[in-house]
Amino acid sequence: MAENTGGSRSAYTADGIEILFFNIGESIYGIEIKYVNEIISVEQITVVPKIPDYIKGVINIRGKVVPIISVRNRFGIEEIPYDDRTCIIVLEFEDGDQVGIIVDRVQEVLIAKPSDISKAPDSKNVNANRYIKSIIEIGGEIKLLLDCDKLITD
Amino acid sequence: MADMYVFETTSLLEQLDQILMKTENESSFAEEDINEIFRTMHTIKGSSAMMGLENMSKLAHAIEDMFYIIREDHPVITSMETLYDIIFSASDLLKAEIENLQEDEYTPTDFTEQMNKIEDFAAVLKGAPPASAEAAAPAEAAPAAPAAEPAAAAAPAPAATPAQPVSASGLTTVKVFFEDDCKMENLRALLVINRISESCAELEYIPEDIENNGDTAQTIIKDGFLVKFRPAQGASTDSIMETIRTTANVKNCEVIERGSEAAAGDPSGNVTTVRVHFDDDCKMENLRALLVVNNVRDVCEDVTFEPADIEDNADTSKIIVEEGFVVRFKSDKPQMVLQVIEGTPSVKSYVVEEAPAPAAPAPAPAAAPAPAAAPAASAPAPAAAPAKKAEAPKPAAKKAEPPKPAAESAPAAGAAKGGVKQSLISVNLNKLDVLLDLVGEIVITEAMVTSNPDLKGLRLDNFQKSARQLRKLNGELQDAVMSMRMVPISGAFNKMTRIVRDMKVKLGKDVELIFEGEETEVDKSIIDQLNDPLMHMVRNSMDHGIEENVEDRIAAGKSPKGKITLSAYNASGEVIIVIADDGQGIDPEKVLAKAERNGILTKPASEYSEKEILNMIMLPGFSTNEQVTEYSGRGVGMDVVKKNIEKIGGSVSVDSKFGQGSSFIIKIPLSLSIVDGMEISVGNSIFTIPINSIRQSFKVQPNQLVKDTTGKEMIMVYGECYPLIRLYQLYDLKPNTENVFDGIVILVETDGKSACIFADELIGEQQVVLKPFPTLLGNYNIKQYGMSGCSILGDGSITIIIDVSNVISDF
Repeated sequence: MAENTGGSRSAYTADGIEILFFNIGESIYGIEIKYVNEIISVEQITVVPKIPDYIKGVINIRGKVVPIISVRNRFGIEEIPYDDRTCIIVLEFEDGDQVGIIVDRVQEVLIAKPSDISKAPDSKNVNANRYIKSIIEIGGEIKLLLDCDKLITD
Repeated sequence: MADMYVFETTSLLEQLDQILMKTENESSFAEEDINEIFRTMHTIKGSSAMMGLENMSKLAHAIEDMFYIIREDHPVITSMETLYDIIFSASDLLKAEIENLQEDEYTPTDFTEQMNKIEDFAAVLKGAPPASAEAAAPAEAAPAAPAAEPAAAAAPAPAATPAQPVSASGLTTVKVFFEDDCKMENLRALLVINRISESCAELEYIPEDIENNGDTAQTIIKDGFLVKFRPAQGASTDSIMETIRTTANVKNCEVIERGSEAAAGDPSGNVTTVRVHFDDDCKMENLRALLVVNNVRDVCEDVTFEPADIEDNADTSKIIVEEGFVVRFKSDKPQMVLQVIEGTPSVKSYVVEEAPAPAAPAPAPAAAPAPAAAPAASAPAPAAAPAKKAEAPKPAAKKAEPPKPAAESAPAAGAAKGGVKQSLISVNLNKLDVLLDLVGEIVITEAMVTSNPDLKGLRLDNFQKSARQLRKLNGELQDAVMSMRMVPISGAFNKMTRIVRDMKVKLGKDVELIFEGEETEVDKSIIDQLNDPLMHMVRNSMDHGIEENVEDRIAAGKSPKGKITLSAYNASGEVIIVIADDGQGIDPEKVLAKAERNGILTKPASEYSEKEILNMIMLPGFSTNEQVTEYSGRGVGMDVVKKNIEKIGGSVSVDSKFGQGSSFIIKIPLSLSIVDGMEISVGNSIFTIPINSIRQSFKVQPNQLVKDTTGKEMIMVYGECYPLIRLYQLYDLKPNTENVFDGIVILVETDGKSACIFADELIGEQQVVLKPFPTLLGNYNIKQYGMSGCSILGDGSITIIIDVSNVISDF
């Protein structure tokens, strides 16, 4: 597992940053692939009492207890029942902590060139905007790159 | 390498502190203590030099020099206090430096100031008129006295351990050669010296400047490395030779000149050599010879004999038949000893040999392993007391000692370690952690296999039998792994001695520190976490607990000397540590007033019980002492202690009688990881309650349910009422049933408090491996709601482990 550690693997290829894109409703968000450990389907989540709503609970990933965050809840978007496209993207941070995020569906991995990336607008009024690192324009589509650290710590 | 150095040096320094503390209490320096300090500093000096830590090496050298003066000249030490201050602060500096060393960016500290102090003091010592050995240390046997002085001093001082009667010329000289092309022979030679230095009372070597002079390597290659030594008490020439031989890269070593106290060199001249012959055909001559030796040992000291290995080597009987058995002993009344020999069964005759030729080669026992070892086999046995006859291979055993309190090894250094074989190894804690994790996984996997859903409904007699066996073995494996991690708490306690000592001086309070149950064992990882809280509480007791003025103590009818007691004992799967002082106690009114001022009261002041008030001192930002001192009251108070102890799954409470003293009671789990638990379900969630806090579980009958005036539900069990805690209410869950009579009630008890927990149903008993919550969840203080961690069950689902004391505390 050590070689999979998020920080140790460079997401920067010669062409740009590798980004995994996923859907929340109609919007497309991306996260840097260096954080992504694996993608699993939604399984039984053990509820932990007395924690904020956006943390759905914990699951067991090969003997490790991993907390699961609902991105919809985090963004203040209405939650929908899980279906067979719903996925958990398991992120791994530099300190070895793993956190799973529930997304509606996973799309694809693309390489974003530096010229594709622009800074996020400095707006704090929309909940989801707080977690956005930058805006990416690929193939004529606007996609939002999430700031993983903020997503789990704020 | 660096790891080993840090580990060794740290334990040596701890050992040094122990010796210093001991001698300071006894207010006398025994010869062996001086030697021990000397050796300790010598070892630190050597190993620091090898690690290239020049500043540490030099500081150690300065202390070593000072003790050399103390040891050799026996000066009258006018200011013991200054001496102790100097050594203690030097030891602190060295410890701090070791800490620094472990940081990423290490810059050597300049010790010049401290070294000047030491050198100044050493100069004072040197300048003082050297008193006679008797005056400086009357109790000493003066084994280190100059050669001119007869070593007979051993006799008049019965308390002292018998000195080894070796004259100055009696040093054993050994020539050591290193493997060809091993490079840096001088440093390897230094390693040899370091390894044996602890076992040698006297040690010289040629070339002398190996440490600083790289050219000596050439000399060593050409002429060999000459080591002259005299074994210290508890060590023997043999064991030292063995140490030399087993040092890395040593090709061979041979004895050039035998330092034989048994040889004619003894100026006191009262060594008698007797050649004993046994009855013809009496068989087993070697064992009969052993009998002679044992008998002789009963009546006199310093018995040596040839062949030396009669006990283990039956072939020696042949030698004894042919050449007789040679016994050498030292006694004021040789006649009496001779009678003893004569009286031993099977002894045919004996001849007293007047002047045994020192050069006479000992009959080499056939079984001696290496040619070089042959002369060594007849090495002088230094022991007189029977307990000493088997010498422990001390340097080896020492290295192997686990990182547990040096206290045990330090005082024992001089004493004999009768017959102890090396049976300890030091293991990296990380490896033990990995092992424990693996055992945890095995426990889970076992459950996964044996309660596999595929097996449901099948009749599997043989499988069940094997499964039971597996379970039993797993249990034993677990116990074995756990016991490996257990270390006595004395290590943590002993550190407090030093703190009390320092504070005693600084605060001018006379306090004695008492240990009780320090042999109680706790998981190593818990002990590591316990040091800071313990230190904090001992400081608190010293600073706030014990009265400022002795008059106050006397007026209160207490002994003028304050008392702090550290005690530890086991109770129902927990270790309880109590830090008690007999000081002024805590004034509840003062605490309450202050809490009110700080606005931390949550209900009217009059409603607080005394216990609640006392426990307020552990609320964040509370400190009853108005004054900030060096030691406590800096705002980081008992709340930090409480937090730290809760981190390791423990709890703290306060008990105090105003005017009579106070005590802090820490409860910690024996071990962090594997818990016997009862699984219960509430809706879709599974919780685990540790078995040791469950008293019973039962279905409630209608007549047991009682409601008090506020509508609070109580359950009546055996004539007592216990509050009912509905887990689904506490945790906002959707239960399968809200009807108390449908579900199950578990009566739990901890800390003397009891309550009934209501859940849907009991699932069963299972061992679970406690895992901490992920850090993300840890931020939400869920522990205060009674969730201490989680665990993975056999089917891969996760259960939450309930900490009963926190659940109850809300009710």
